[in-house]
Amino acid sequence: MRRALSLFALLLLWEALAALGLVNPLYAPPPHQVLLTLWDLFATGEVWPHLQATFTAALLGLFWGILLGGALGLLAAFSPFFSDLLEPVMLLLNAIPRVILAPLFVIWLGIGLASKVALSLVLVVVLIFFAVYGGVKEVDPRLLERVRTLGGGRYWLLREVYLPSLTAWVLSSLKVAVGFAFTGAVVGEFVAASRGLGYLLSFAQSTYNARLSLALVALVVLFVLLLFHLFGRLEARLLRWRPKAQGGF
Amino acid sequence: MLEVLGLALGYGATPVLEGVDLKVGEGEFVSLVGPSGSGKSTLLRAVAGLLRPLGGEIRREFPMEALGFLFQEDALLPWRTARENVALGLRIRGMPKGKALEEAEAWLGRLGLSGLGDRYPHQLSGGQRKRVALAQVLALRPRLLLMDEPFSSLDAILRTQITRDLLAQVEGEGIAVLLVTHDLEEALALSDRVYLLSKGPRARIAQVYPVPFPRPRDPVAVKADPRFGPLFRRLWQDLEEVSLCAAP
Repeated sequence: MRRALSLFALLLLWEALAALGLVNPLYAPPPHQVLLTLWDLFATGEVWPHLQATFTAALLGLFWGILLGGALGLLAAFSPFFSDLLEPVMLLLNAIPRVILAPLFVIWLGIGLASKVALSLVLVVVLIFFAVYGGVKEVDPRLLERVRTLGGGRYWLLREVYLPSLTAWVLSSLKVAVGFAFTGAVVGEFVAASRGLGYLLSFAQSTYNARLSLALVALVVLFVLLLFHLFGRLEARLLRWRPKAQGGF
Repeated sequence: MLEVLGLALGYGATPVLEGVDLKVGEGEFVSLVGPSGSGKSTLLRAVAGLLRPLGGEIRREFPMEALGFLFQEDALLPWRTARENVALGLRIRGMPKGKALEEAEAWLGRLGLSGLGDRYPHQLSGGQRKRVALAQVLALRPRLLLMDEPFSSLDAILRTQITRDLLAQVEGEGIAVLLVTHDLEEALALSDRVYLLSKGPRARIAQVYPVPFPRPRDPVAVKADPRFGPLFRRLWQDLEEVSLCAAP
C-alpha cells in the first residue's frame, strides 16, 4: 500500500513539474498526457492487433520454453549422456546476452511471428533448464529413499517426489520467465516486424514520440503485473502444502 | 524368519561390521544396541536391501514386500495430506485410489489420528507425523518391521504413548520387529532379545540378552518387574565396557 502511494506521489510531482513548465513535455510528457495517449490507443482500436501479436509471441515462447526447458532439464538431470551434451550449450547460452540472437532469428525465420517466438523461447528455455536441472539435485534424498522402501520405482519417484518438488523450483523462476518472454517478443519486434508493441515502440522512437513510448511502456508493465498476479494465484494453489503461501509479487 | 550369518558391511575397504550373526524369529521383537559408530543403522539398511554386503549372508524367509521400514527422520511427502501419505504405499502396491484412501483412513483411526487425514505434514505435530509414518508402514501389513531410532526426536511422554500403541499393533498382528536404539531401557521394555554390538570399525555382536518378561506387555509397567533392574545394570555395564575398549 505504501509502495503504491509513493508511486502515486511521484506521478503527482511529475505532473506538477510539467504544469510549472519545469520539464519539457516533448521529452517527459506529464502522466495525464500519457494516459490520454493510452486511452486513444484503445479507443481507436489501433492497439489491438499489436497487443495480439506481442501476446501471441510471448505466450507461445513462454509455453514452449517451459515445456522444452523442463524436458531438457529432466533429460540432463537423469542421463549423464544428455548432461554432457546439453550443459555446455546451456552454459554458453546463459553466459551471453541472448537478445543478440534476434537479428539471426530474423534472417532464419523472417520478420513474422516465428522469429519473435524463437527469441522469447530461447530466453525462457535456458532459465527453466537450469531451474529443473538444479532442482533435481536439490530433491530431498530422504523422500526418495522413503518412496523406494515403500516399493516405488521410477514412475512413483518421478510422480510423487521429483515433479512436486520441481514445481516449487520452477514456479519461483516463472515470474522471471514471464518477463523474459515479453523481453524476447518485444525486442524481436523492435529489430524487424510489421506488428506488435515492439514495432510501435520503434515507430514512436523514429518519430520522437515520447508520449507514445511511455504509454507503451506503461502498457507492458500493466500486462506483466497482471500475469504476475495470475501466476501468484497459481503458485498459492499449487504450493498450498507449504507452511506459508508466498503470494503477490 | 530373518537370519544374518557372518555378515560384513562397509562403504570402503575397511568393514564397519564383520562376522555378525543375528536372528529374528516369527513375531519376535529384537533390539540392536551399541556405541555410536558401531554400524547399527548400516546393518538395518543392509537387511532392508539398501546396501550390498561385503561378505556373509542375509536369509529372508519372506518376500521383500513383507518388509516395513521406519526412518529416524520424518520422511512424509510434504505435498501430500496425511491420508494420501498413508495411502501411498498401498497405491504403489497397485490398490485402486479410492480403496487405498479408505484403508488409509482406517489406519489413521487405529493410531489415534481420526479427523486429521486432510492435514498436510506441516500442519501436524512431531508426534502426529510419526504416527502417520507408522500408519504408512503398518498399512502395508509387513511381517518384519525394521526401525531405526524411530521416535528419538519426540519428548518422553509422546514417545511412551506412541511406543505403547506400536507394541499393541505389533503384538496384535504378530509382526516381527528389528529395532535399532540407543535407549537401553526402551530396548529391554520392548524386546524378546537384545543384541549388543561392539565398537567399530569391524564391530561384531558382543553379547546377546534374552529378555524374560511375558507378553502382551506394557512397556511402562514392565519396568517395575524385579528382574528389570539387574538386567538393565548388566546391559549398561557391558555397553560401557565395549564403548571404552578399542576394536580388536
